[in-house]
Amino acid sequence: MSALTTAEITPVFVRLKLSLLRNGLKQSSKRRAAFLASLVFTVLFGLLQLLGLVLLRGNAQAGTVTVLLAGVLALGWAVMPLFFSSGDETLDPSRLVMLPLRPRPLIVALLVSSLVGIGPFFTLCLAVGSVVAVAQGPAGIAVGVLAVPLLMAGCVALARALATANVRLLSSRKGRDLAVLSGLGIAVGAQLVNFGWQRLARDGGLDALEPAAAVVRWLPPATAIGAVDSAGRGAYGTAAVQLLLTVLGVAGLLWAWQRSLTKLMVSPDGSTIAAAEEARTARERQDTGWARLLPGGRSGAAMHRTLRYVWRDPKTKAAWVTSLAVGAIVPVFNALQGTGSVYLACMGAGMLGVQMYNQFGQDTSAFWMVAQTISTPRDAYVELRARALALAVVTVPYTVAVSVLTAALVGNWPALPETMGLSLGLLGGMLCTGAVASARFPYSIPQDGAFKNVAPGQGGLAWMSIFLGALVSAALCGPLIGLTVFLHVSSGPLWTVLPVGVGWGVLIAWAGLRVSAPQVARRLPEILTAVSKG
Amino acid sequence: MPDQVFSADAGGARPAPPAAVRIAGLWKRFGEQVAVSGIDLELPAGKFIGLVGPNGAGKTTTLSMVTGLLRPDQGTIEVAGHDVWADPVSVKARIGVLPEGLRLFERLSGRELLGYMGRLRGLPGDETDKRATQLLDVLDLAGSQHKLIVDYSTGMRKKIGLAAALLHNPEVLFLDEPFEGVDPVSAQTIRGVLERYTASGATVVFSSHVMELVESLCDWVAVMAAGRIRASGPLAEVRGEASSLQDAFLELVGAGGRDAGEALDWLGGGTAR
Repeated sequence: MSALTTAEITPVFVRLKLSLLRNGLKQSSKRRAAFLASLVFTVLFGLLQLLGLVLLRGNAQAGTVTVLLAGVLALGWAVMPLFFSSGDETLDPSRLVMLPLRPRPLIVALLVSSLVGIGPFFTLCLAVGSVVAVAQGPAGIAVGVLAVPLLMAGCVALARALATANVRLLSSRKGRDLAVLSGLGIAVGAQLVNFGWQRLARDGGLDALEPAAAVVRWLPPATAIGAVDSAGRGAYGTAAVQLLLTVLGVAGLLWAWQRSLTKLMVSPDGSTIAAAEEARTARERQDTGWARLLPGGRSGAAMHRTLRYVWRDPKTKAAWVTSLAVGAIVPVFNALQGTGSVYLACMGAGMLGVQMYNQFGQDTSAFWMVAQTISTPRDAYVELRARALALAVVTVPYTVAVSVLTAALVGNWPALPETMGLSLGLLGGMLCTGAVASARFPYSIPQDGAFKNVAPGQGGLAWMSIFLGALVSAALCGPLIGLTVFLHVSSGPLWTVLPVGVGWGVLIAWAGLRVSAPQVARRLPEILTAVSKG
Repeated sequence: MPDQVFSADAGGARPAPPAAVRIAGLWKRFGEQVAVSGIDLELPAGKFIGLVGPNGAGKTTTLSMVTGLLRPDQGTIEVAGHDVWADPVSVKARIGVLPEGLRLFERLSGRELLGYMGRLRGLPGDETDKRATQLLDVLDLAGSQHKLIVDYSTGMRKKIGLAAALLHNPEVLFLDEPFEGVDPVSAQTIRGVLERYTASGATVVFSSHVMELVESLCDWVAVMAAGRIRASGPLAEVRGEASSLQDAFLELVGAGGRDAGEALDWLGGGTAR
């Protein structure tokens, strides 16, 4: 059998891609609805972007905006495979290993078929809009006509080259863990973008972006838009260099893609090799120093496992790091912007306190191992207490640190003791309600995907328990808040809020554990059923 | 077909050994579907007991209820003379469980899992670590003891699960499909450990749908189909006249004599078309 040529296989691949899209939609009405919704949304959003960019034409900042937009677009394409490694709708070249295909026609066919889909359509809208916004004069238009396909090819080639080079990582356990952790990037990133945006709005707008644009316009494939902008302003030499850089960039990406694809398709399956290597390099996992400080018996073992899971389980890690980051970013950044209050430091305690909720759901169906060892309310109490202690081991020093930092930034040292007292009281409230919610409203946490944190059908349960729990926690802290307000009004000794808060927090946490332990012991099979879905 | 019931101590004048498990009137429904419909069963102590049946017969549901992982709708269960639901303290200390389809704590290494389970069971730390080392050695897991369980193969998972179930030296061991998806070498290792364990007077109850395996391992079997016990007793009695347990089983569940017959007469190598 002779190898097929580019002209022969490209239409086949495009048809194959369309069939895959169509058949994927046939599988379930839910998926079809999701696809249609995203299609409508993307078309509307894409066309709006197009319109917005066309309106930008002639604006002094048009070049800056479009160049940065092209850079963000390319970045989006580059990181997309990380988020959607399992749901990638493009053709998977590893399925084609047994077919007589030469690398070059294969790359072209894959590139063309990759241009079919919602994502590429959106990219096309932005690319056309950007070119319309900056193309001035015949030279600008001529370069613009070249820039659109180059930008598209650059984005797609970048995405495919990176995905192919990292396919072993993406299909391994580590890669899947990474994909789960990527949700974290979004959660923390959103906060940073939020503050960045506020800053931008305050500092007098887009001028602040110019230095970034000056760099990005020399980075392929954003150079394509840079070239159009340069040509429109009459800088033909610059335009030519930028256009050349774009072509070289796209060619380089295609070459890198082809190289890693060839290597991938002619070398043995990576999964077994990786596993064997891992066995060889597995470190001795010895009890580290800090573990010796934990108490013995069930308490120590349960605490140790909880803390290990914070580090090793991607879902738990993502939740913890998000809480830690957001709990610090909000008070500190607000303080930096001069709008802060030392009381915002309470947020960290609240965010981390949420981790006490659904303790057994975090175990997944492995909860049966714990259930096998709980026969009395006392066992359940020790288990819950150990988990609460593990949480406190991290949260208490963290809360103190964030409170001190915020107080320093705001310059409001006198309010530090009451802030810490309120924070720790709130933490006690969250531990209390979290323990009760863990016993009464357990739900499953699906282990795949960064954004699925509740099994289908249990979302209401999860939200209600956390929402109501937070309200009840706040209510439980009512006496503490009342005391603080009273001391403020009567100019009493405000430092007393700290010891009272600590005492109150410990008391309500203890009460919560006491109340929930008999329920856990009684409801073991029901909890196991609830956390074993999905 | 009438249910055949054989008594464990039918022929002997010896006093009957106390039952390891005694089940009476056990029911479980999931919505409309009846998974277990009124089981009465007595499993003798000190035996290697096989619970066999086709997929969906209710084996897993029964074992989950017996081990306290699933609440029955109705019925009583005693393990070693203690009621599973009324006296969990006595029962949980006496049983070891390896369920099917439930996870382990996969982000712990094999050794860490055993250390964790031992301490949860209230064993002293030193004793736990000593037993863990021996179990890891015997089960041929010493080389992977520091690998995370999430990276283990199916056979390794079953072996570490078995180790966790044996750690506290239970009287009765319940294993749900312990050989499913396990390679022959690991299966032989598991088998060796279980045989040594029963030789010391302990009871093993395991479920399987592989008849040859049950026939070669067990001295006592219970046959389940459609949520009922179709037969139970010493292997030889349940097998009866049939040439193998497989044939006896097919007869019992009413699947015997179903042959392809004439329907696929075109199928076969050699002849064209």
